[in-house]
Amino acid sequence: MAQNTYIGASTRSKEAPRHVTGRGRYADDMVLPRMLHACILRSPYGHARIGAVNAGEATQLSGVVGVIIPDDVKRRSRPFKPGRYAAGLRVPIPEYASAVDKVRYVGEPVAMVAAETRAKAEDALELIEIDYEPLSAVTDTHAAADPSAALIYEELGSNVAWQGQVSYGDVEQAFAGADRVVRENLKIHRYSSTPLEPFAIIAEHTPERLNIWCNSQAPEVVYEAVTEALGIDNVRVIVPDIGGGFGQKIHLIRKYAVLTALMAVKTGRPVKWIEDRSEHMMAGGHSCDQEFDVEMAVKSDGEVLGVIIRDTDDVGGSISTLTIHFTNKLNNLFNTYKVQHLRLEGRSVLTNKCPVVPNRGIGKPGMCFIWERMMDRIAQELGLDQIEVRRKNLIGADQFPYTTPNGNIHGSGDYQELLNRAIKNIDYDEVRKRQAQSRDTNRLIGISVVIGVEPGGRNAARDMAIFPESKQMPGAGGVEGATVKLEKNGSVAFTLGSPSCGQGHETTAAQIIADVLGVAPERISITGTFDSALSPWGVSSSNSGNNFHLYDVGAVHGAATRLREKVLTLAAHLLQTDKASLTIENGIVGRVPRSGSAEDDSITFAQLGKIAYGNQALLPDGFEPGLEQTYYHSHPHANPLMIPDAHGRVRAQYTFSSAAHAAVVEVDTETGRVRVLRYVIVSDNGTLINPSVVDGQIYGSAAHGISVALGEGFVYGADGQLLTLTLLDYGKSTTLETPHVEIEHYPIPDPFTTLGQKAAGEGAAIPSPAAIAGAVEDALTPFGVKVRHLPLSPERVWRLIHESKT
Amino acid sequence: MKLPVNLSVNGQAYEEEAEPRTLLVHFLRERLGLTGTHVGCVVGECGACSVMVDGALVKSCLMLAVQAHGCEVTTVEGLAQRGKLHPIQEAFVHNFAMQCGFCTPGFLMASHALLERTPNPTEEQIRQDLSSNLCMCTGYVQIVEAVKEAASRLGEWRKTHT
Repeated sequence: MAQNTYIGASTRSKEAPRHVTGRGRYADDMVLPRMLHACILRSPYGHARIGAVNAGEATQLSGVVGVIIPDDVKRRSRPFKPGRYAAGLRVPIPEYASAVDKVRYVGEPVAMVAAETRAKAEDALELIEIDYEPLSAVTDTHAAADPSAALIYEELGSNVAWQGQVSYGDVEQAFAGADRVVRENLKIHRYSSTPLEPFAIIAEHTPERLNIWCNSQAPEVVYEAVTEALGIDNVRVIVPDIGGGFGQKIHLIRKYAVLTALMAVKTGRPVKWIEDRSEHMMAGGHSCDQEFDVEMAVKSDGEVLGVIIRDTDDVGGSISTLTIHFTNKLNNLFNTYKVQHLRLEGRSVLTNKCPVVPNRGIGKPGMCFIWERMMDRIAQELGLDQIEVRRKNLIGADQFPYTTPNGNIHGSGDYQELLNRAIKNIDYDEVRKRQAQSRDTNRLIGISVVIGVEPGGRNAARDMAIFPESKQMPGAGGVEGATVKLEKNGSVAFTLGSPSCGQGHETTAAQIIADVLGVAPERISITGTFDSALSPWGVSSSNSGNNFHLYDVGAVHGAATRLREKVLTLAAHLLQTDKASLTIENGIVGRVPRSGSAEDDSITFAQLGKIAYGNQALLPDGFEPGLEQTYYHSHPHANPLMIPDAHGRVRAQYTFSSAAHAAVVEVDTETGRVRVLRYVIVSDNGTLINPSVVDGQIYGSAAHGISVALGEGFVYGADGQLLTLTLLDYGKSTTLETPHVEIEHYPIPDPFTTLGQKAAGEGAAIPSPAAIAGAVEDALTPFGVKVRHLPLSPERVWRLIHESKT
Repeated sequence: MKLPVNLSVNGQAYEEEAEPRTLLVHFLRERLGLTGTHVGCVVGECGACSVMVDGALVKSCLMLAVQAHGCEVTTVEGLAQRGKLHPIQEAFVHNFAMQCGFCTPGFLMASHALLERTPNPTEEQIRQDLSSNLCMCTGYVQIVEAVKEAASRLGEWRKTHT
């Protein structure tokens, strides 16, 4: 292979030209002949029993073609099978696409209407009468866990739906040998990633198959849900451009795919359903409120010997994602630290709130928050410097590849150096001077330096670590495919096995193919977006788990490498030379050294394409015609610990990017408002394929984590009503609140991946809440304020200041 | 009941009609097929549906189609001329100023309105003006950089196009 020309360069975006001209193709942009428009009637109650449903008048309304009520769902569809995050359920509980007997959160789908226009469908929703018997809503995990609380699922006998733990090392021994135990109660609130495009589904039932167009990040989830619920095997899932995902479009979207498909089957016409913003806010999925009681056993020099975490997850009103936040803490259970003894106890508590789903880092921001808040607390209690306590506990640069006590293997890294550079770039000593000067004003300055990892490339067997008794393995390792084809005109087309939500996959894949094949990216194009009938897909073919860098890059590289071999075989035959004497440059295969004229010594991709698809007489004996190669990639270093061992050790993910974040904030002590003055990141994402694409991922995920810390989030009333139904009420940061994040790349290639790459996606959303929390606490040192809970909205900060005065 | 909506969009005249309750954004997308204008919130918070109406930046989810009767509308599809990207579009491409692309048409129209009024904005002015629009992917850094670059590209472009 020639040396890299395009890998490592910010080559021109492949996706951007269609987006800037308004020619992106999203699900809502598509129109099918005779297509109906569907709307959903949702629960106005947090908790209620569903009584009689009367849809007679709605059905009679002119323009209405179909109505689905809970009875239809129960009669005409099957409940979802419990997935990997419901494996811990004590008794099986059927969960249908809509509520059937009870509603368990405001916004839970209850009925669907399809009409000739969306406006007609909305009119008809108002005519459906449902007798609800309201029940007490439970919105707080402490109240929900009380034996006297109203039961959200009577079958379970308790709202504590799951309890379990993972334990590594000898925690009791570690605590026995400690000089001190540092304790803290920490909380992270409910938020979302609020993709700008809400859920969108089109379903069409033809005599041949059920076609679903949807903006699912994980088409496998929709594919399996529709097949299982409706008993239709021949399902085709097509994913056009997706208007942002971040994990929101993985789980709950399947409910709507089933309902829309059921409507298409029932009416015999194509049906489009587009979620609106407030529907997404109340029912599209939230991250869960998490509460952590943490104990760290430390020596007086700051070394952490052992850790006990008791984690309570508020999983809302569904049993389908009970352990999803707990499980994801396995990915960064030890963050960047070398402590050997840790126990994480978890319980998932049902409440009358929206079900919980992944978004940007799921579970990992909480785990990083625990570690980084505790590092600060340990330093405070022991009278040590906060950064020095971190240094004392970091995994050393000479310890890589490093295996954490729970089995994750960090391939490469230099955590001390990330801290060094962040401290330098933020001008740490200078900020401390300014901070001293600010102490006489009502605008206090604070600084914090934190560190975290960004796990990437999911191992499908990960969940078995917490369900050792589980008989059914949900899958293991990872599989993802890609196809690369040299067309008969010499251009190159490729197909990826997974959808993209805007992470530049077309651009990045084209760069890899360009370097492997020896052709300019301009001549390479993607065949289209995900199509389950055409894309080579496997268990890792989802825009989640930070999978692209490991699985798709491996698959694209593998397919291009195979194609290169085939191109060289054909060219060598035609040029009557050895393959070894050939090079490829700019789409021309040539002999080195030259032996005669250009025509004797070289052949173009276009000439090869024409021959490969059209001229059997010129093909070598035994050569399969065509120039197209598909390659399915699994991580070649997936073992050891792909399957959990007897100690529950398993590799949750396969690569570990890392970054140090340094934040400087200014807190207005009169209003509680926090402004981020500077935000610096030093990031190790391994080999960068397209630095501008990676920058974009870091900027975006940092902005989200900062916005989360500063106040964006969901608020429920005690009656289970969601009070934050719009983006303004929810508090999403704009250009004004979002700082200009400064990035330094410090890449250390991963020794085990195709190009040395590591993940680059949600990473900066993981340490940023901790960075802001630390900086605000630092600013409020004169008040003795301790920051334990997020978000740090102006009201919360103001209260912290005023409570400290009383 | 339907009312007439005669208007010009991207320089092309249309004689259409719409129910009084139809929003301009739905009219543009569904009646005229101009799907570059996106619906992100339908309540004027996200800016994904931003278009120009008679030279003013408008969130087309906050305007009824019938209110655009007799107006000149420009959507994102009207920015490129004869197949060549407008300098603002080129700057957005060059700076990777988008990820999923859903907010992009709105940001382009908002940037267009800003640069018409303020040809050389400071970063503060850019951030102030674009706070009308939300992007969930990018953290805004590359968008702000793109608008800065667009300002200088437009300076050159105006010299050759006027």
